[in-house]
Amino acid sequence: MKIIKQFDSLLEKTATYLLVFSVLTMLSISSLSIVVRWFQYNITWIDPFVRHLVFFCTFLGGVVATGQGTHIGIDILGKFVESKGMHNLKNIISKVVMIASMAVLVWLIKSGIDFTKVEMEFSKKEFWGIDSGYLVMLIPIGMTFLLLRFLTIFLLSFENKKGELA
Amino acid sequence: MSGTIAALGIFFLAILGTPLFIIMSLAALVAFSFSGVEVSAVAQEFYRISSAPTLMTIPLFTFAGYLMAESKSPMRLLKLAESGLGWLPGGISIVALIVCAFFTAFTGASGVTIIALGGLIYPILMKDGYSEKYTLGMITASGSLGLLFPPSLPIILYGLVAKVDIDKLFKAGLVPGAVIMIILSLWAIYNSPKIDNGSNHKKFVLKDFLFALKESWLEAVLPIAVLVGIYGGFVTVTEAAAFTALYVFVIEVFIYKDLSLKQDIPRVIVDSMSLVGGILLILCCALGFTNFLVDEEVPMKIFGLMKEFLHDKYSFLLFLNVFLLIVGCLMDIFSAIVVVVPLIIPIANDFGVDPVHLAIIFLANLEIGYLTPPVGINLFIGSFRFNKPITELYRASVPFLLLLILALIIITYVPSLSLFWFK
Repeated sequence: MKIIKQFDSLLEKTATYLLVFSVLTMLSISSLSIVVRWFQYNITWIDPFVRHLVFFCTFLGGVVATGQGTHIGIDILGKFVESKGMHNLKNIISKVVMIASMAVLVWLIKSGIDFTKVEMEFSKKEFWGIDSGYLVMLIPIGMTFLLLRFLTIFLLSFENKKGELA
Repeated sequence: MSGTIAALGIFFLAILGTPLFIIMSLAALVAFSFSGVEVSAVAQEFYRISSAPTLMTIPLFTFAGYLMAESKSPMRLLKLAESGLGWLPGGISIVALIVCAFFTAFTGASGVTIIALGGLIYPILMKDGYSEKYTLGMITASGSLGLLFPPSLPIILYGLVAKVDIDKLFKAGLVPGAVIMIILSLWAIYNSPKIDNGSNHKKFVLKDFLFALKESWLEAVLPIAVLVGIYGGFVTVTEAAAFTALYVFVIEVFIYKDLSLKQDIPRVIVDSMSLVGGILLILCCALGFTNFLVDEEVPMKIFGLMKEFLHDKYSFLLFLNVFLLIVGCLMDIFSAIVVVVPLIIPIANDFGVDPVHLAIIFLANLEIGYLTPPVGINLFIGSFRFNKPITELYRASVPFLLLLILALIIITYVPSLSLFWFK
């Protein structure tokens, strides 16, 4: 469990550092883009770059939300069970939810890898001369990041109640 | 048969509390597999979001809103509004409504308003002589007030999903948002504590107002600057988002020094991006499934069915109001926008409802859904924040619910309130 805890903490820290870096970068260069436009100068790569940064932050934010158990869901049954004080059943539900989530994430990773292969074959240049095939890799990478977080939270839920999703 | 089993299984997982982005992904993966389409199409739909030109407004406005909520900005703005409007009958309550609307517009009705402002407003209203029932109801209702004002996150998300011009939506929401504010302000005046020999009566003190203005003007000008910037043609919505975030960051960290660059900013970034990540994941995952439904002409089939019962635009609008009130109390606004909007747009279009008006009706409805028992999310947040039983919150929010429904009827059946700008 200690190793899993350390790994979970590593995932959390990595997501936090990357988020802080990404948001501050997003903020700086979006503002820079506006300022240079006042001088009739246009930096064309900024817009697609920032959009991909937001796309990347989507996964990182998802990793944090997974850890905090704040993903948005329609938790009707879970809330009902909890209100009736059936904590064991609630724990079982949480575990079922996490197993189902991990299974779907594996399927999504496969979908992302398939799409990356297609995009690699027919790729076009996006910005800085980067092929779109490399950019769509963000999907399987981001999904893997999410899957790992779900997995560590799931394993840790056997030790405490951290795994309960909101 | 297997399709029905799969649909039931997905529904069961949803009510168990599986994250909605997982549910939407699973629905898309299953739907594409059943119809013989490669599952890579789901990832392809997922990636489409990265080409949305206004995508970056979501994290930037949310970050700005969280920065303000975490700073002492709520206190400063409350002081300003109190010194400016506190002399009016019901003035303190109106002040609270305005400040809550301001914060909700920036934080996107994610419960932050009730959490951040509830603790400040509750003692002020109670001290001023308002009943506890009124105070609780008002704060709970205010948690989603301001959704129709720019730069509200749900408006941006709606524009992204429905492909409606966000500038237009910002403009269209102004008057309906004001209608809601006016109705609630009149209720605040009606409920204001009775004044005995003027002893409870506050006077307007210019010196106090100017002092409060001096303290908070950097924040108070923000909504006006955003509006003037966008509609004066000085900046686009995306640029306004970048400037707002940078401006709030600079004033809260370097001018007011409410937030520490090393200790607070990383925490605010992580908190705000956790919300943004949650919303955008749902958006990305839902795109695949809702597009599948649209390709399969599901909205048209529903429309055909509805045509048998609903014969004109107004009966459709009535149905829409009731349907969205139910949706609003079962789902949060972000999920509802992503899941429901793509399905109702073609139907509303066939009934002749203007897309901009539809957006305002949709958002006003969901604003009320937050307050609708038994599962309106604001009721739970209020119950948690004030440590009161949920049933007490139900009772307290009923008058506000009725008033907001009145506002909704006006907004729905007087389209010119939303559309007069565009004629």
